[in-house]
Amino acid sequence: MTSVKVALQRRLAAFLSDPIEGAPEGAVAVAPATLVAAAEVLKTASEHSLPVLVWGGGTHQGIGGRVDPAIVLSTARLDSIVDWQPEDMTVVAEAGVRIADLEERLAERGQTTVLPETPGDATVGGVIAAGISGFRRLRYGPTRDRMLEVDLITGDGRAIRGGGRVVKNVTGYDLPRLATGSFGSLGLIGRVCLKLWPLPEAQRTVTLAQPQSDYGYRPLAVIEERHQVRVYLAGTSAEIEARTAELGGSHEEGWWWPDPLEGLIGLSLRIAPRLLADILEQMPSSWSYQALPGVGEVRIGVRDFDPETMSALRRWAESRGGALVLTDAPASVYSTFDAWGAVPAGMELQRRVVARFDPDRIVNPGRLPGGL
Amino acid sequence: MGWITAQAPRPAELNACVDCGLCLPHCPTYRLTGDETASPRGRIAAMRAVADGLVPIDDAFEDMMSFCLQCRACEAACPSLVPFGRAMEGARAELAAQRSDAGRRIRQVLLGRLVTSPGLLRLATRSLGLARRTAAIRIVPAALRASLAGMRSVSRPLPPVRGATHGAQGKQIGSVALLAGCVMDAWFGGVHEATVELLTRAGYRVVVPPGQTCCGALAAHDGDARGARRLAARNIRALSGVDLVVSNAAGCSAHLKEYAEWAGDGGAILAGRARDVTEVIAGAIEDGRLPTMSINRGVVAVQDPCHLRHAQRIVEAPRVIVSAAGYQPVDLADDQCCGAAGLYSMLHPETSHTLGENKAAQIRAVGSTVVASANPGCEMQVRAHLDNWYRVAHPVELYWEAIREKELRSRENPE
Amino acid sequence: MRVVTFVRELQDLLGEERVLADPLRRHVYGKDGGIRRGDVAVVTLPATVGEVAEIVRIASRHAIPVVPRGAGTGLAGGAVPTSPSLVVSLTRLTEIEVDVESSTAWVGAGVLNLDLSKHTAAFGLHFAPDPSSQAACTIGGNVANNSGGPHCLAEGSTVNHVLAVELVTAAGEVLMLGADAPDPVGLDLRGIVVGSEGTLGIVTRVLVKLTPNPPAARTLLAAFDRVEDAAATVSGIIAEGIVPAALEMMDQPMTIAVERFVGAGFPTDAAAVLLAEVTGHPAAVAAEAELVRAVAESNHATRIRVAADQAERDLLWKGRKAAFGAVAQLAPDYYLHDTVVPRTKLVEVLAQVYDIADRYDLAIMNVFHAGDGNLHPLMAFDASQEGVLDRVHAAADEVARVCVAAGGSLSGEHGIGLEKRDLMPLVFSEADLDAQARLVEAFDPDRLFNPDKVLPTGSRCFDMGRPVPEGIWI
Repeated sequence: MTSVKVALQRRLAAFLSDPIEGAPEGAVAVAPATLVAAAEVLKTASEHSLPVLVWGGGTHQGIGGRVDPAIVLSTARLDSIVDWQPEDMTVVAEAGVRIADLEERLAERGQTTVLPETPGDATVGGVIAAGISGFRRLRYGPTRDRMLEVDLITGDGRAIRGGGRVVKNVTGYDLPRLATGSFGSLGLIGRVCLKLWPLPEAQRTVTLAQPQSDYGYRPLAVIEERHQVRVYLAGTSAEIEARTAELGGSHEEGWWWPDPLEGLIGLSLRIAPRLLADILEQMPSSWSYQALPGVGEVRIGVRDFDPETMSALRRWAESRGGALVLTDAPASVYSTFDAWGAVPAGMELQRRVVARFDPDRIVNPGRLPGGL
Repeated sequence: MGWITAQAPRPAELNACVDCGLCLPHCPTYRLTGDETASPRGRIAAMRAVADGLVPIDDAFEDMMSFCLQCRACEAACPSLVPFGRAMEGARAELAAQRSDAGRRIRQVLLGRLVTSPGLLRLATRSLGLARRTAAIRIVPAALRASLAGMRSVSRPLPPVRGATHGAQGKQIGSVALLAGCVMDAWFGGVHEATVELLTRAGYRVVVPPGQTCCGALAAHDGDARGARRLAARNIRALSGVDLVVSNAAGCSAHLKEYAEWAGDGGAILAGRARDVTEVIAGAIEDGRLPTMSINRGVVAVQDPCHLRHAQRIVEAPRVIVSAAGYQPVDLADDQCCGAAGLYSMLHPETSHTLGENKAAQIRAVGSTVVASANPGCEMQVRAHLDNWYRVAHPVELYWEAIREKELRSRENPE
Repeated sequence: MRVVTFVRELQDLLGEERVLADPLRRHVYGKDGGIRRGDVAVVTLPATVGEVAEIVRIASRHAIPVVPRGAGTGLAGGAVPTSPSLVVSLTRLTEIEVDVESSTAWVGAGVLNLDLSKHTAAFGLHFAPDPSSQAACTIGGNVANNSGGPHCLAEGSTVNHVLAVELVTAAGEVLMLGADAPDPVGLDLRGIVVGSEGTLGIVTRVLVKLTPNPPAARTLLAAFDRVEDAAATVSGIIAEGIVPAALEMMDQPMTIAVERFVGAGFPTDAAAVLLAEVTGHPAAVAAEAELVRAVAESNHATRIRVAADQAERDLLWKGRKAAFGAVAQLAPDYYLHDTVVPRTKLVEVLAQVYDIADRYDLAIMNVFHAGDGNLHPLMAFDASQEGVLDRVHAAADEVARVCVAAGGSLSGEHGIGLEKRDLMPLVFSEADLDAQARLVEAFDPDRLFNPDKVLPTGSRCFDMGRPVPEGIWI
């Protein structure tokens, strides 16, 4: 064990945690139990310019540039549901709350965050930092539309808050949305207030053999896979009956969400919805996919690393304003196939913004495009 | 500095505006320019600035005020009920009083003399009509030429109707004094014929008093307050002793309804009796005094004159009338001014032309070559911007034609 | 001298017609839909993004503040210049390019909100945010203020419907932030630009998400003898697990004012009126409308009216949307507040609002987006009365404090602008405000764009002592 690491462990003694499964070995693992403690950790790291990797459930660590951290900050102990107001349909939760746990609680009163439906161990903070949305975004919009308030610990250890605990708010700049998908570049997302939606009276999954051009008026979600299409319905029983009749196919009561795709490499293709049908026809037959019509997202599972086809698909997407993003891959892949692809417009501006929150660039450095 | 005339925009009129901006999208000049200073709210702000002594009545103020079409679409949209048309007439009166120039003086002479004299107007009409068909048109200024393009070709000069009395057909239910108007009288005799025929069939005794003159709308809009008052006073004397005073030009009927402003108590009485012909005829159709044709004559594009729709809020009447004639009325894409706007077409030919083209495009989109318009200025403007196979007519003309045709047919085939 | 060169450079770029520099026209541009009047150095009317960028470069060279302006319907002073500024009117940027297959459209900043929905109606699509000023306000203004409207309850505010913005930066660069593809990579800067009130740059074009027109809709009007019953109905409907398209409430004084304007048969004898709209699949609409009716009845609704057709629906909405203007018939001036509280605090806060108005001897009426707790208390007054403005200011301030104390926020949809800038410390700590200021600095280090807005700067730059002209305080 290096002397630096020993010194650091001494400095962060109050926050040390057991080794975190899946996290890079060799880094000091901490799990602060409060936002104040988290601020202490980041302040210390900032003072010594030590890179910090923030770790939630570890389910979306495959996205973005690789980080070689001195400290892994687990949110496992930031795990309380701080405030739930069922009547106002808002919930305040700390970053480390598991989505599955939160959803189970909210379901008691027929409510949902509309965060990803098959979260595994994913946490609220992790999914928000990674900007991951559920299938139901077709009807309710992406995760950023849930964000009402955020408590951030900036890279230099300041505790700041943006937004508010009301469902409609234009007071001040929209930090909650900026934090969504920021991959820690502003600092640690410590706590959030989310807007909730009611779970419908009736739920049904309709399975069709073929994609269609029209799935009826605003279905909850549609997932096109290679050999079937699932259409998710929500509403009153009468509505669901009527819609099922319009759609045809077979159906099951309840929502049956597909499992995450298997494969060596996970990809996320993001394109304008009008381009979806075209590209699905050209998808290599060994790749599995879950395509979201009307959204323009295709989740792809690739069995064997195929840099040529992947690069071709990336070029095709980028030339049309889209992107092809690695969501999971063996470490070696990232050195030959960039996690993000082309650097987006306004990168300089992004750098300037990040510098205002994390001047020493210590939280998840290099995770964003352009090595930011 | 500030206001000097009795017509000037009044504090209550200006204060009624709360700057909400709901008028903006309804203003044709704002729509064309995107410029707040070409909007009703901007014009009110300018009037307030003058009223408060912050700025003088200068070139900028005159430009801003004269660019207004006075279509009053803003008034219909205003939740605060700002009497914008009245305030704008006030601003124009101030301009006339404080910034008299040669152009305005010429306009006043034209408005004061030409349009008040049927004889002169007829002479002018004939000369222009002749000029239009010959090389002499070249000496007419371009702006005027554009307006003339929409003139009716008067193939059958109709007898002047002044002085005539027409008894009610059937049971008399009331008496009407018809405002023969200036332009209407000289250029639109067919509309008068239809008006008289329909009114008498609807049970009215119709008189066309000889002492009447131009209603004064053009003078009022141009800020010629003295002219407007003089004309109103003459008409009040001439058009008395009847139940209703009817005009078949929307600009005139709208102005008659505002006579209280120009002629005190006598004006208020006349204003209370004033009606646009479309209101009276539609009323007669609705209560069965006039017939409804079952024949299908196809589609007619209905152009809403601003002074009918916005100033008088009459929307349904022209549609009721053309429907009774057997047409299917179709609205245009919007109810914006066609750009005629009285003298506007001559003072701001470019803006007028753009609006005219817009309106023509909307009419073409309807897909009918028959257009109903209840105001002579609009009729001419619309015709000028359409190909000559389009027919632009007053709703009462279309209706009277239909009745006459039916009567002829039933005479030929008594079965 | 400097201003003369400045104006000449602008005229060289745009021609004389699109550069307004005379005192009267500058005066006219000195104000928006709110009460404050500012100081305009010159007004420009660019027609292309290139012209906007060049204007910004010229202004930057001369260090003259730039204030972007849409239709000027804002209520918080967002378009009012605090010091002699260059006003950039974006009303001429009116192009619309629809991508029907993706249900998106690139829209010029100057396109009117309602024009966009009219334009896309042929494709069965609309732009969901529908502020009461939607007939007049521009998309650029909606983006600046993150505008809402009655139908935000189910659809969310403007930010939920903006996929990308074309932004002219302080350096005069044109940046495209966001994309028509979902989840563009990198920081989501478009999200921070929406609602930034023109302080981060000038938005010239917007890629908006379009929403399918609902195949069925039903609008219900319910009358109540007690405001509490109306509020309980709102909570009850939400508790039933349905989120109506809109859930709007008016108290009696407001209903009377509106009825006078539209004559739509609003019940003027009711203490509170609730306007609810359910939209969607025909089967859902019927069931949900029944549910709304049942909840209203169980909360003692005295009358329930269901709009029979589109015309009646339009009329009811016209009444609701003209509410603010209609009040001008009652008093020459009014102050329209915009605050948000948690929905469950509506009744409690409303009682305090009435109490505040009583104490300051002001006539108050209320219209609000009850579904999302967005209050619009409106005080009608006559500014020519001695001292009344001070009372209005003080009452407005108290209302804001009461709402914040109840867990609410300063503004739900009108923005902070100048109007509420100095109340920001009520909801944010110094560190929070500092972070926001740093963010602005990242975009606009010299504070070229709309300086002095949103964030308190310690000193107000405009003259508060100046008499308020013809007092219009929406």
